[in-house]
Amino acid sequence: MRYGLFLGCNVPAVRPDVERAIRLTMPRLGAELADLEGSVCCPAFGAFPSADETASLAVSAWNFSLAEEKGVELVTQCGSCYSSLRTARKRLLEDAEIREAVDRLLAKAGRVFRGTVVVRHMIDVLYNDIGPERIRGTLDFPLDGMKAVVQYPCHTLFPSEVVGFDTPAGRPHMLRDLVEALGAEVQTYSRELQCCGGAGGFVKGSYAGASEFAFKKLRAMGSETEAELIVVSCITCLEHLDRMQGELGKKGGEGGCPIPVFDYNQVLALCMGFDPAEVASISIMPRDGLIARIRRA
Amino acid sequence: MLDLTNANADLWREITGSCGDIRHCFNCSTCVAGCPAAEGNPPLFIRDLVRKVLLGLEESLLEDETPWLCVTCSACEEMCPMGVHPFEVCLAIRRWQTRNDDTYIPAAVAEIFETGHTQPLDNVREKRRAVGLEEVPPTIARYPELLEKFRDMLRDTDLVKNNEYMFKG
Ligand code: SF4
Ligand code: SF4
Repeated sequence: MRYGLFLGCNVPAVRPDVERAIRLTMPRLGAELADLEGSVCCPAFGAFPSADETASLAVSAWNFSLAEEKGVELVTQCGSCYSSLRTARKRLLEDAEIREAVDRLLAKAGRVFRGTVVVRHMIDVLYNDIGPERIRGTLDFPLDGMKAVVQYPCHTLFPSEVVGFDTPAGRPHMLRDLVEALGAEVQTYSRELQCCGGAGGFVKGSYAGASEFAFKKLRAMGSETEAELIVVSCITCLEHLDRMQGELGKKGGEGGCPIPVFDYNQVLALCMGFDPAEVASISIMPRDGLIARIRRA
Repeated sequence: MLDLTNANADLWREITGSCGDIRHCFNCSTCVAGCPAAEGNPPLFIRDLVRKVLLGLEESLLEDETPWLCVTCSACEEMCPMGVHPFEVCLAIRRWQTRNDDTYIPAAVAEIFETGHTQPLDNVREKRRAVGLEEVPPTIARYPELLEKFRDMLRDTDLVKNNEYMFKG
């Protein structure tokens, strides 16, 4: 199995420890990662897709051409990148007129979009190509006895026709199963299927509304479960829930107890015994206590 | 009574070429019920935006900033019973606003034109080295010659041609 790792903008710049965790864990599971040299912003929905559709699709096609040239499926952890690329691919394959305009633009840059690209999300690859069984067999420090909650990346759920891989679309289970494969018990809470609220322009345009939206989710996790960690698989969920928990903590008593947030590949890396200083070193909520427990230190 | 004297009856054709057929919207509000940004202040009510487009209320739509609150979660896209594709409508309204008022053009497009990315990578070198990664990721950040080609491509788009002042380098 060989994949083109699409990094996007946020992971390499804001959470390089997640990039490191991905680069260490996937090969150990038999998934070789190729770099997509010269990749650019997906483009983010708030950028070109909000300004000029042809330009936007040309940017996506630039990225597609890199994966096609290497003959690899493209895999990304970022939900927004995943959804933006999936949507663009569909549009390019369905609209001949816009495809022609995009082909002309790409030709100027000496690149070609063939239309063969396959865009995958990390959860999809981990679950469907590798599988919980195989993951279970690679762990030095399983999460036995620990309780977790998961946050599904909205961009991997809807619109299911374009981005979906979990079934049924409205009741996903793959991320839960992957966390259970690490040995943890995954508990359910009432706002589990709500998005984190951190993507797009909500936080910038209505900070109070966006924080309250995240607080409701965090309070539900805190009051309805005994979770010791939150597991996500999207850079925006990771950053936003971590940041919002810091904010909630500042508000004191009403917040409940703050629960550390990890990207799935980070927890996997810790369970595999990789160095926490490399794979889980950047966060707002302190994670040291939990990391020590995972490593039985 | 709503004054429709200045309404543009063709507005929906202008905006929603690539979306679902928004004439099928029957105001059910499913798209509002599941929308995170409907809890914003001001709230984003995608149903109302669809209505504005259908009624041709150009002026009101042009000054309405709520489409930019969208979280891009696509819950509305999934749930709309009439195939309106509300999230696509939201993006299409943004593009229409951008075409008619350049102050709507997101700063991120200029950043992407300049560096290929929306996040600066200069101050993260140390951090990347500390976690065992190469200081500059193997994206376009590492390949200036590719960035030149990427910009050449974008220079040929309407967005860049019509707003040259925004795109330097
Ligand atoms: S869900 Fe669809 S039909 Fe219902 S109000 Fe929204 S756009 Fe209209
Ligand atoms: S995609 Fe945007 S408009 Fe639709 S439900 Fe999500 S935030 Fe609301």
